[in-house]
Formats: sequence, C-alpha cells, structure tokens
Amino acid sequence: METAHRKHPNYVLIWVYLAILTAIEIGVAFMSHLPKQIIIPALVFFAVWKALLVALYFMHLKFEPRKLLILAIIPLPLAAIFVLAAMSEHVW
Amino acid sequence: MAHATATVDMMHPPAPAERGLDVYNNKLGMWVFLASEVMFFTALIGSYIILRFGAPGPWAPPAKVLNVPVTAFNTFLLICSSVTMVKAYAAVADGETHFLRFRPFSGGLKFWMLATIIGGAMFVGVQAYEYTHLVHHGFLPSGAREGSEVAELVASGVVPAATIGLYGSTFYTMTGFHGFHVTCGVISMTYLYVTKALRGKYSRHDYRGVEVIGLYWHFVDLVWIILFTIVYLI
Amino acid sequence: MTTVAATSHVAHAHHDDRSFLRKYIFSTDHKIIGIQFLFVSLFFLLVGGLLAMQMRWQLGFPGKPMPGGGILPDTMAPGGVLLPEYYIQLVTMHGTFMVFFAIMPLLVGVYANFLIPLKIGAHDMAFPRINMASFWSALLAGLIMLAGFFVPDGAPRAGWTSYAPLSARPDLSGASYGQMLWCVSLVFLGLSSILGSLNYITTIINNRAPGMTWFRMPLSVWSLFITAILGLLALPVLSGAVIMLLFDQTIGTHFFDPVAGGQALLWQHLFWFFGHPEVYILILPAMGMVSDIISNGSRKPIFGYHSMVFAIVAIAFLGWIVWGHHMFMSGMNPTLGSSFMVSTLIIAVPSAIKTFNWMGTMWRGNLRFHVPMLNAVAFVAMFVIGGLSGIYMAATPVDMFIHDTYFIVAHLHYVLFGGSLFALFGAITYWYPKMFGKLMSEPWGKVHFWLTFVFYNLVFFPMHTLGMAGHMRRIYDPTQYDFLKPYQPLNEFISISAFALFAVQAIFALNFILSLKWGKKAPQNPWEDNGLEWSLPAPAPHGNWETVPTVYRGPYEFSSPQVPEDYLPQYRKLPTDREPARTPVAGH
Repeated sequence: METAHRKHPNYVLIWVYLAILTAIEIGVAFMSHLPKQIIIPALVFFAVWKALLVALYFMHLKFEPRKLLILAIIPLPLAAIFVLAAMSEHVW
Repeated sequence: MAHATATVDMMHPPAPAERGLDVYNNKLGMWVFLASEVMFFTALIGSYIILRFGAPGPWAPPAKVLNVPVTAFNTFLLICSSVTMVKAYAAVADGETHFLRFRPFSGGLKFWMLATIIGGAMFVGVQAYEYTHLVHHGFLPSGAREGSEVAELVASGVVPAATIGLYGSTFYTMTGFHGFHVTCGVISMTYLYVTKALRGKYSRHDYRGVEVIGLYWHFVDLVWIILFTIVYLI
Repeated sequence: MTTVAATSHVAHAHHDDRSFLRKYIFSTDHKIIGIQFLFVSLFFLLVGGLLAMQMRWQLGFPGKPMPGGGILPDTMAPGGVLLPEYYIQLVTMHGTFMVFFAIMPLLVGVYANFLIPLKIGAHDMAFPRINMASFWSALLAGLIMLAGFFVPDGAPRAGWTSYAPLSARPDLSGASYGQMLWCVSLVFLGLSSILGSLNYITTIINNRAPGMTWFRMPLSVWSLFITAILGLLALPVLSGAVIMLLFDQTIGTHFFDPVAGGQALLWQHLFWFFGHPEVYILILPAMGMVSDIISNGSRKPIFGYHSMVFAIVAIAFLGWIVWGHHMFMSGMNPTLGSSFMVSTLIIAVPSAIKTFNWMGTMWRGNLRFHVPMLNAVAFVAMFVIGGLSGIYMAATPVDMFIHDTYFIVAHLHYVLFGGSLFALFGAITYWYPKMFGKLMSEPWGKVHFWLTFVFYNLVFFPMHTLGMAGHMRRIYDPTQYDFLKPYQPLNEFISISAFALFAVQAIFALNFILSLKWGKKAPQNPWEDNGLEWSLPAPAPHGNWETVPTVYRGPYEFSSPQVPEDYLPQYRKLPTDREPARTPVAGH
C-alpha cells in the first residue's frame, strides 16, 4: 500500500490552533461577562471549529476520496433530525 | 464482419471498472465503525441536550460542581496525544520507524506512538482522579449525596436541587463512556505497539494499523472536544 | 457450451485440514457462520413460538389449567394456570425473542453472511474474525436473554419496547434482575449487529468481483447492503438507550424517571428512533430475497430493477423520519405528530412501487411454482395486507382508536410473520442446497406451505376484528370486560388455529432436519438461476472460488434471446461479451 508521497500538513501548527482555541473557549466561558445568548453560540462555534480541524487534518478527511467523506457525514443529519425532533417537545 | 463487431460493441459497452472506494478494507471498516460510534454518542449527547432543554429548572453551573481547571489540563493532554498520534502516522508514512534520532533530532514511529499511549493513559488517570474527587465531594450519578459538600451547595441554592440528579446522570454517563473509549484505545494501541511497532512490522509500505488506530484515536479526541464544551463550559 | 463457462470457475475443493473445532465451531468462514446463525436463530424461533402458544392458551381459555403446564414452577403457573405476572413475561419475551433473536438474525445474520460474498464474488468477508465475533456476541446475547427466566423475579415484564418508567424502576415492574439482563443482552446484540454491519458494508463496497458493478448486484445484496447501513446506524442508538436504562435500574440515574426531572418520553423517542429503522431491518432483506426468487420463478427479468433499488434506498431513508408514528398516543407535541403522519404515509409510495414491480415481474411470466416461489408470492400477498393496515395506522385519528389493540398485533404479524417469515421459508428452501448440498423435499415443502398459509390467516386475520372491538394488546384475561365477552369464541378459534399453525411447523422442521441426511443430492444449479453462487459446487467449498469469477451482466437475465436456455448466468461469457476493465482491488 505504497501511497503516492504527499507532503504532510503542518500538524504542529494544527496543534497550536487547537490549544489556542481551547484557551479562548475557557476565557469566553469563565472570564468574560457576555450574556449567555452570546456565550453559548460562541462556544459551540469554537467546538465545531476544533472538531473540524481534527477531522480534516488529523483524520486527513480533507485528502480522502470524496465518497469516504460522504460516508463519514451520513450519520450527522440523522443525529440532527433526532435531537431537533425530540427537543421540539420543549422548545415550541 | 468488422461491421458486425462494431454494432455489437455499441450494444455492449465495455463493462465499467468502478469497484471499491480506493480505500483499503481496514480503513474503510474503521470509518464505517466510526459512523456507528457517532450514532452511539448521539444517543448519549442527544439525551443530554433533550433533558437539559426540558429540565424542570435551571442547570447547575459547571464550575460550582466540577473541577474545570483539572479537566482543562486533561483536554490539553488529549489534544497533545492526538498530535503525537498524527506524528506517528506521518513518521511511519515517511519510513521513519526508529525511536529517537539525534543530530538532526527527530522522533520516529516508536517514539510518537509511545508518547500517545502515555498521553492517553494519563488522560484516563486524571479522569479517574477527577471521579474520585467528585464522588468524595458528594457528586454522584444519582445526584448529591446527603450530608456532603455538594448537598450543602444544593441546600444553599447555589446548585439547583431540581436538576442535580439529571446533572449527575448525564455527566457520569457521557464522560464515563468517553473514558471507556479512551481506555479501549490505549489498550489496543499498546497491543499494536508491542506486537507490531516494536517488532518492526510497520514500514512505509504497510502502516495500516497505525493509520486505523489513529483514526479511532482522533475520533475519541473529537468527541472529547464536543463533550468538554457542552459539559464543562456551557 | 453452458457447462464450459460454468465449470471453469468452479473451485477445486482444496484439501481442508482444519480441525473440527476450527471448521464448524470457531470458524471464520462466512458460510459456516451463516449456518451457525441459522441453527441458533431457528432455536430461538422455536422458543418464541412456545411462548406464543402459552399466551394463546391463556387468551383462548382464560383461567383453565394449561395442558402440560404442571411442569412450570408455582411462580409461573400454579396448577398449570398462568399467573398474570407470568403472562406479561411471556408477552415481553415473545416479542424480544422474535424480533431480536429470531427474525433479525435469520434475515441478516444468516443471509447477509451467507449470500453477500457468494453473490458478489468474494472469497470471504472483509473481516472474517470480526464476523466470528459477531456471531458469538449474538449467541451470548440470546443466552443472557434466556437466562431471564431463571433469575429471581423471573423474566422482564415491561414489553419488548420496555417503556419507561415501568422498565426503569424495579419497584414498578416487579422484575429486577430480568429487566437488567434484558438491557445487558441487548448491548451485546447491538455489538453483534454493528460488527456484522461494518463487515457487510466494507465487503460490498470493496470486495466485489470484476465486472460486478453496483447496478449488476442482485436485489438481495442491495437490500442487505441498505439493511446493514440501517443496522450500523440504528443499533448504537439502542445500545446507548439500554445503557441509560440499565443505569437507571442499577446506579440510580434519572434519565427516564419523571420524579427526578427525567423524561419518560425520551425513552420512547430513543427506542423508536432505533425501532423504526429496525422495522425495515426486519423486512428489507426479505424483500430483496423475494425479488430474486420471484424473478427466478417467473423466468423473467425483474420488473424495474433500478426503481427497486431506489425504492429500497427511499424506504431506508424515510425509515429514519417516521419513528413518531409509534407515539401518537404518548402526549407528544401534536405538530410533530402531523409531520410524522405525513412522512409515514409517504412510505406507501416506495412500498407500492416494489409491490407493483413484483406483480409486473410475474405478469406473463413462465411461472414455476416451486416451494421458494410459493412462499415468495405469499410474502407479496401478506405484505400487501400488512402494508395496507399500516396505512390505516399512520393516520393519527385512526391510530388513536386502534392504538395498542389487537389490530396492531394483526398488522405487525402480517408483516413480520406473513412477510418476513414466509420470505424466510422460501429463502431457506432456496439456498438450502448451496448450504448443505442436499435438496429439501418438494412435496412436503408444498404441504407445509399450504397448511401454514391457511392456518396463518386463520390466526391473524380475525385479530383485526378483535382490535376494532377494542381488545387490548397485552391484556391477560379478556373476559374480565363485558364488551369483550362476545368475542371470546373468536379468541378460542384463534387459539386453536394458532396451535395448528405451530404444529404444522413440525413438517418444516422435519423436512429441514431429515433432508440434511436423506435429502436428494443437489445439482450445482438446481433452480437454474443466474447468481454467482450457482457457479460453485453444492455445498460451496471453503474460500469459495480459487479465482473469483468475472461478471458479464446483471443478475436477472432470464429468457434471454441470446441463449437457447431460459437463463443466462452472470458469470457466463458469451462471444459478444468483453472483459471488464480490471481495476486494482482496493480490498486486499
């Protein structure tokens, strides 16, 4: 399984990003005096950003065949459907 | 005759060659498995979100019950073990299966994999410490233990009494199953390290085991990124 | 001419020096694992049937001592009279065994394992050892479930759906250990299904024979592929849910306990979010195998192959967004209820496409009513009845009236027994020669089919009437209500028919067992079919082919004008066929 040699992305840089984002998250959560309506979306945004960094670079999804990417994201809409439907009991 | 063949050719186009995903079996299998893991954590995390939205009162502020600094350190630890894992993968893909090389200084597969195992094991250790600590303070899966520190917080109204039970249930189930996954990862990685990496079974021509366990490891890291945010910060 | 092409791919049964244990017990061969699943799940089918017989005795003859009931301990049936506590255990365990340990492994465990590599031209599954783990995990799960009868307080009592808070609190259900074993067992079952599914998916994607393109795959393989995706994504949700339920029972969490802020409805959402895809896991493989058999029995290409495939995909997708139709009466948000009603009604479209395609296949076909064909046609007919009563229930106002009555029982048995089980009788007869090298008896198969078909309808059709009259689903003694007393003779009739239905299954069992030894030796291709599996000797050897065959066409080329015979196997090369472009196989 000799793969065509490609240059590895700069993994250490991704690691630095992740660490900085985590620090920002903790800062936003505990040291800021923003209202909850801003803090929560911001934290979710940062979490998704970090998750994407891990999936795209560490799990090298960015460099995989498109079909594998589709396979990997199939469960996500199902998960969203479930949570949104069951949540609708309490939100609407 | 040539004409006839040409007609037949038009009726029978060459069979298309599409077959497979151009991804080897173990890797495809791991991705398929990870898809099912997503649904498993959907059940756990989804239940948490649904319970929290429908909770009969405000949710307890995390910092009042949990030890966030310790977990923040633990998060950093897991991120570090993720980068060492991917360094191990990069090393073996470049054919560097040594431990450490000086002049110029470079880590090989054996070094980075060992670092990952240590990082994962430390994560589990810190989590065990966190759990003992929390239970000691009276924070249980069923809520607050009577007469404990957390029970006092509940009595004084700092932590809402109506939701502390749900808080304990969801907290221990989600983080516990994440910890279980890390433990499984550490065990299987140790197995691969001892039976394969140390015996030189990995090379730039075959490093499937490293890549596949790496996918699992990063997935567990990814779940923790989500869990840390929604359990400890929000 | 025919035989030359056919035999060129036959593997020479290479010398097999594995020990008996490696060969038949701890085997990694997909065919042996399929056969292991077959025996184990037929055993659990028998267990589930025995439980049903006891229930029918109580319903038909409430309060009378059951013949042979004296052997049951006093905690179950003192003097042979079933106790209510025992009756609800029967209800729970009958549903659990039939759904999780009989029909599901029979369809997926047996036929996904046995057929996928044979039909796509692979030597074995992608991960043979994971496959073996899947079987042993399923067996362990079944034994843990069975152990429920032998622990203090007896088997679980919350129904196969285990609605919380009844199931979450031992003080409410009266069953402590049994209910926990139910949860533990389903965790192992979930593990088994996930391991199996990831194997099937990987194998189908990566290990197809040269020329076996997606749209040359038989519909059985398509449906098993889609089923595997459903199983892969649905079972982990069940695992997560039962783990939470187990924690509620044991370590005092409050997920489903409303007293401490939990949500009883959350269990229903989780269970049915798994449960509705599960319903399609229980029918899609049957549909696929029936498509293969009907095309073979009609000697015609399947009508609308592509539309069949897209219908399977559509059913599978819609299966994820309809789970709320099990919960119309739960007090769920009414807006949500209406959207679930609409999405459920839409499922009728792909289901009808499939039904009409089967009829279109048979239309003007050169019909051969061999035993598999009879069962397959019965599948179509019974599926139509079960499907139509399903459309009734999809409408919220109708469902309010018939919810949790015998109408539901009739509906689900029409699709599970009339649908899946008839398809399985057909499939077992059809692939029996490839499994064991012998043919099952044709006349006895027909006798079994007709008796089963008649008694089956006598049992389940009157249940519609009972349900419309308000006969509750899990009631212990219907005669306690005056409005149900006039229906007692009907109940008695159903019970007697049910005993007869159970008794005639002995014909099938004997046919199955005796044919192993005394059955007629099977030729290589007894049904004159086109699939790759028929290029192998019967029984198929370990490793299947020495070199995998090349595929030149789709699986349903019956009555092709290109050949004198009325079938044209996928592996037969005609002078006009070109070799498919060989791609490097990613799989190995």
